[in-house]
Amino acid sequence: MNERNERIHGVACTFRKVSDVFHAAEKVRDAGWKNWDVHTPFPIHGMDQAMGLPRSPVPRLTLLGGLTGFTTGCLLTWYMNSYDYPLIVGGKPYWSVIFPFPVLYECTILFAAFGTFFGQFIFNRLPRHNHPLFDLPSFARVSDDTFMIVLEARDPQFHLDESRNFLQSLGGQEITVIRD
Amino acid sequence: MSSSSPHALTAHWKKFLAAGVVAMAVLWYFACVGVAHHENRQALSILVGSLFWISILIGMLMLTMITRVFDAGWAPLVRRNWEHLIIALPVVILLGVVPLAFSTGFRHALWDWTNAEHLLPGGHTVGHDPILQAKSWFLNEKFFLIRISLYVLVFGALVTLLRRWSFAQDTDRTAGHTHRLHAVSAVGIPLSAVTLTMLAFDCLMALSYHWFSTMYGVWFFALSIRLALAVTVILTYKLSNGGWLDGLLNQAHRHVLGCLMLAFTVFWAYISFSQYFLIYTANIPEETFWYNIREIDAATGLKSEWWSVSMYLIFGFFLLPFLSLLFYRTKIVAGRLLTVAWIIVMGGLVDLWFNALPRQVYDKSTPEGFVVTPFLTSSLFLDLLAIAGFGAIVFALFLSSAAKNETIPVHDPRILESINYHE
Repeated sequence: MNERNERIHGVACTFRKVSDVFHAAEKVRDAGWKNWDVHTPFPIHGMDQAMGLPRSPVPRLTLLGGLTGFTTGCLLTWYMNSYDYPLIVGGKPYWSVIFPFPVLYECTILFAAFGTFFGQFIFNRLPRHNHPLFDLPSFARVSDDTFMIVLEARDPQFHLDESRNFLQSLGGQEITVIRD
Repeated sequence: MSSSSPHALTAHWKKFLAAGVVAMAVLWYFACVGVAHHENRQALSILVGSLFWISILIGMLMLTMITRVFDAGWAPLVRRNWEHLIIALPVVILLGVVPLAFSTGFRHALWDWTNAEHLLPGGHTVGHDPILQAKSWFLNEKFFLIRISLYVLVFGALVTLLRRWSFAQDTDRTAGHTHRLHAVSAVGIPLSAVTLTMLAFDCLMALSYHWFSTMYGVWFFALSIRLALAVTVILTYKLSNGGWLDGLLNQAHRHVLGCLMLAFTVFWAYISFSQYFLIYTANIPEETFWYNIREIDAATGLKSEWWSVSMYLIFGFFLLPFLSLLFYRTKIVAGRLLTVAWIIVMGGLVDLWFNALPRQVYDKSTPEGFVVTPFLTSSLFLDLLAIAGFGAIVFALFLSSAAKNETIPVHDPRILESINYHE
């Protein structure tokens, strides 16, 4: 990458039809690009596979959150009912897995929800207040009647002229260089 | 896919029918001999075997109506198989529960509360039981038999309507049938909910009539849907390998069935645990004895074999399917989903055993005045024969229905959406 490229975010290219952007995405995937994205006004089924995207890692954080919640619930009820202030309630043991079970699963659900919510924040790199794409006039139409592929400059394959030609060869219509 | 050339598989329906008739003959022979010798375990096999299929078929009936009401786009392809199957629901009730309930000998042998001479733990008889007298507005033989007849009528009527208009659409291509089926389903869901609750009360809960649980109907519903989904996964897999779903069933269909299996696994656990939890917390002897005889051997104070069965339900019927189904790949890889489905079918049977088999039998030689019927007996094989026998009849009806009607709802307004269903 040369000096000039460092101030460039990437190259954007618009498409008019779903099938065009879909097949273009497949070709970008097959060319081995890692840092790139497709923007569409509505979800296109099968686009995940066309882009070669892996499954979201968020469920792992959900599971981690759930396990943390279950453990927290166990420790919470054990500490309060059995350790810090042992108390017999309704003839039940100080601590068993049965009587505090509502607490345990509510904690599991709460922490799993935290894991999911903050997990998607982390993996979506949120909060983010601005994005170089927002400066692009044609980007507004991506929420209306246009599809867009963006190749980002941070991808090792990125070279301004070659990437521009590559997008042209995919049948892109309007090709724009996005600056940071 | 035309009605004039049914799929080759459907030709096997007579073999299934023959196997079912032979199994019924053997089962009823054993049951009659048993009752003549004052034993009820053989009759209980017929009850368990029929309830296993009643439960599956009620689940399929509910799924048929729920997918109708919600206009589920993925459903038509799968639902047609439910429509072929549910005709067996009134038949299995008629062949299993009805003769047991209507013949005095079997009724007295299975439902203790119908037999005034029956000895209770402690030595007094059912006829002198104040608890039964208080419940007699519901638990009296006349009303009991009326209810059993109503189950056949209500389910029979619903099944007939749901099938008739769905099949009629194949030939006359009228979208109006879809609207009519909406209406039937909207009425049918609450009606079936009440009917299946009463059926669970009468056929299972009333086996130990001192005990009561307001969650019982919901438990039976959750179990039914779980079993129905598991059987659907197994059946559609079979039908997509050499059957009429060849090349039609895709990953997204497995995914949606897998997601529902996960949801109802959690729901079943939630309901089963809530029932236990409420009884555990309230600690009323009239309720707790039901769980006590399923945990502790009263003579020794140690855990009985029923305790192992309950542990199997927690770990084998809930935790294992739950943890497996959490993974996306379990829901889309056919072999894995199939394995989980078989685990659920097995677990569902064990859950039925857990609910139906343990009972207190009067025995004055023990200090408690009763013994609990054991789990591991050779009669379990008779239960398996009953399940195979009723299953053969169910599949005979399924295949003969598939031979006479379309196996794919070719003119369902959503059939293309169902065939092209994607995640």
